[in-house]
Amino acid sequence: MMYKLVLMTIACIFVGDAAYPQEDVPNLKDPTMIAAGHDLFLQKQCSRCHGEGGKGGINLTRRALDPRSVFQAIADGRMGSGLRMPASRDVLTDEEIWKATAYVMSISQQPK
Amino acid sequence: MGKLILAASLGLTCLLSTATVALAEAPGTEDPNNWPQYNRTSNAWRYSPLDQINKDNVSKLSVAWIAQGGDITMGIQETPLAIDGVIYSITSGNRVAALDAKTGQEVWNYQPKLDPLTKKVLFSPYSRGVAVGDGKVFIGTVDGRGIALDQKTGKEIWQVQLTDFANCHGCNFTSPPVVAGDMLTFGSTAGELATQGKIFGVEAKSGKKVWEFNTIKDDPKSWPGTSGKYGGGGAWMPGTYDAETNTVFYGTGNPGKDFINEDRQGDNLYTDSIVALDPKTGNLKWYRQEIKQDVWDYDSAYEVLLFKKDGKDLIVHMNKSGYVFVLDKNDGSIENIWPVSDLKNFVKDIDKRTGELIGRVELPMNQETLICPSTFGGRSWNAGAYNPNTGLWYNNVLDFCGYLKPVAQKDDPKDYGTGHIGASDFGRLVMAPDGRKPGRLDARDPFTGERKWTHEMDVPGFASVLTTGGGLVFNGDPTGILRAFDADTGKVLWSFNTGSGMRSGIISYAVAGEQYILVPSGWGSYAAILLPALFPQLEKMPAASTLIAFKLPK
Ligand code: HEC
Repeated sequence: MMYKLVLMTIACIFVGDAAYPQEDVPNLKDPTMIAAGHDLFLQKQCSRCHGEGGKGGINLTRRALDPRSVFQAIADGRMGSGLRMPASRDVLTDEEIWKATAYVMSISQQPK
Repeated sequence: MGKLILAASLGLTCLLSTATVALAEAPGTEDPNNWPQYNRTSNAWRYSPLDQINKDNVSKLSVAWIAQGGDITMGIQETPLAIDGVIYSITSGNRVAALDAKTGQEVWNYQPKLDPLTKKVLFSPYSRGVAVGDGKVFIGTVDGRGIALDQKTGKEIWQVQLTDFANCHGCNFTSPPVVAGDMLTFGSTAGELATQGKIFGVEAKSGKKVWEFNTIKDDPKSWPGTSGKYGGGGAWMPGTYDAETNTVFYGTGNPGKDFINEDRQGDNLYTDSIVALDPKTGNLKWYRQEIKQDVWDYDSAYEVLLFKKDGKDLIVHMNKSGYVFVLDKNDGSIENIWPVSDLKNFVKDIDKRTGELIGRVELPMNQETLICPSTFGGRSWNAGAYNPNTGLWYNNVLDFCGYLKPVAQKDDPKDYGTGHIGASDFGRLVMAPDGRKPGRLDARDPFTGERKWTHEMDVPGFASVLTTGGGLVFNGDPTGILRAFDADTGKVLWSFNTGSGMRSGIISYAVAGEQYILVPSGWGSYAAILLPALFPQLEKMPAASTLIAFKLPK
């Protein structure tokens, strides 16, 4: 019984990690990456829904965010409160999505 | 014998008087028990003559039934129809349902399989209404199709692809078609899309496309160089069909890119205009442009009201700038122009006689300019309502502003999620500089703009207004509160918490001798995305897709 439970937990962690292995997350603190991410945030009109500095209608600055889930939100879109954010995988490369992620992380509440 | 003659003559009188009543039917009172089209009657007044629910008993209103619309994505935006005891409803993602108007029970439902691209495009899965005629229910879909269903069974009769959805930046239909005799007219979305917005004429019987009208005029004076290629425009709200002159009137959308006019130094016809079309041919009878070379996103897509006044046939039409144009229905010539609010700085004024924009404010590139009203407009697309008994037109007024900042942008009709707007957003919203309340419900004379009463609001209204023969006005707000007002004085007579914000159209109908008020509730759309920046009360507003029917207790 105990044995089974432990196994399941391990499986979950494995699935979670498999999508975006830790070592593939680039350095999101790199200022040039953050700046490039900000440009994308404006160009792709993330700002249309999130405001120029992320302080718009759907505020991104008051959240503690996890980089991999930010990547996924941008790539595949997100639903929340009945509102829809479109997927960007077709219009942004993985590299660009990481840049946007770096910018979003820079304006969000950093985990303590 | 004497008696018989009396009876006979009585019978005759009765017949005569019935005939007289039918002939002298006052405008707006036709088909009183039903709500058979988007704005109820072909004069687009949103007036229900029903008077069972009135000032004296409205406080006793209670819930008769509740129905759920299904998908809540971007909320419920429809104005349902009510015809002979059946409700025809459309909710997010074009889900159509027929409901028993007495119980709310579903009779049938239909949902088209939508192009997956609808998940990415700017205006989706908005569904603002259906149209009914010729035994069919008609919809325009968010992937650019027209579809006809059997009114009794909901079975599909025909469908036709009208817009080139994948190649027109996702231009589609968010509103129902207009039934114009045996034709249907469909207006496409376009203003924020890299495309040319069209109005389509389709045979109601067969679904055959007969004509299309391009809201972007092929004229280098109006659109220098290639500026018209992605000129936008379109007609994303239902037009008005006037059987008397066999004309369909549409208001059109804004030119693109919204905030940059550098390369489109012309009038940019037929954007921000009323166009009067022959529904058989699509031929343009006349047009009246209201906002020339728009850079403030002031679409003119709103409802076109018709009036007969002092022997004249008039149109009353508001555009997003908040200016109301009173026009001659026969040629579009200007009778009067008045603003719904004095909170406006995009121009000093609009000339009441010529329609000329006086002292327009241009938007320098890469720099914020404060513009009032905001890109939500002096009023949103949700319609006002006119009551012939009070002579008043009731409208939600938005009294806040936005900072607009144009930036260069590449044209890319395949980048579906990015607006062809020439900016990184629709403007940073701010309260009015003079500290006034951000919204109100106004009761005004539609021809002069003279105000009879006003009801100020902390969160402005974004739903369509209903007014009734019971001397009432119904209005819903984004926090979910539905209110009934005394149509003469503006006094609040009743209110009810619907549990989610309102962005749709309240209607009234009668079945089995009882009057109902039907209220769609479910917050959504870009308003739900953008407004929390200005109204933090809305940040946690739950979405929904609910129809709530009220009536008097027995
Ligand atoms: C059409 C409006 C819209 C656009 C455009 C948009 N978003 Fe979103 N975004 C949303 C909505 C709606 C949500 C989900 C609701 C929420 O999380 O509050 C969301 C959620 C997110 C989240 C998830 C936050 C979390 O809590 O996990 C991130 C990160 C994000 N958006 C970033 C972006 C970026 C980067 C872009 C541009 C590539 C973008 N968004 C474009 C509407 C939008």
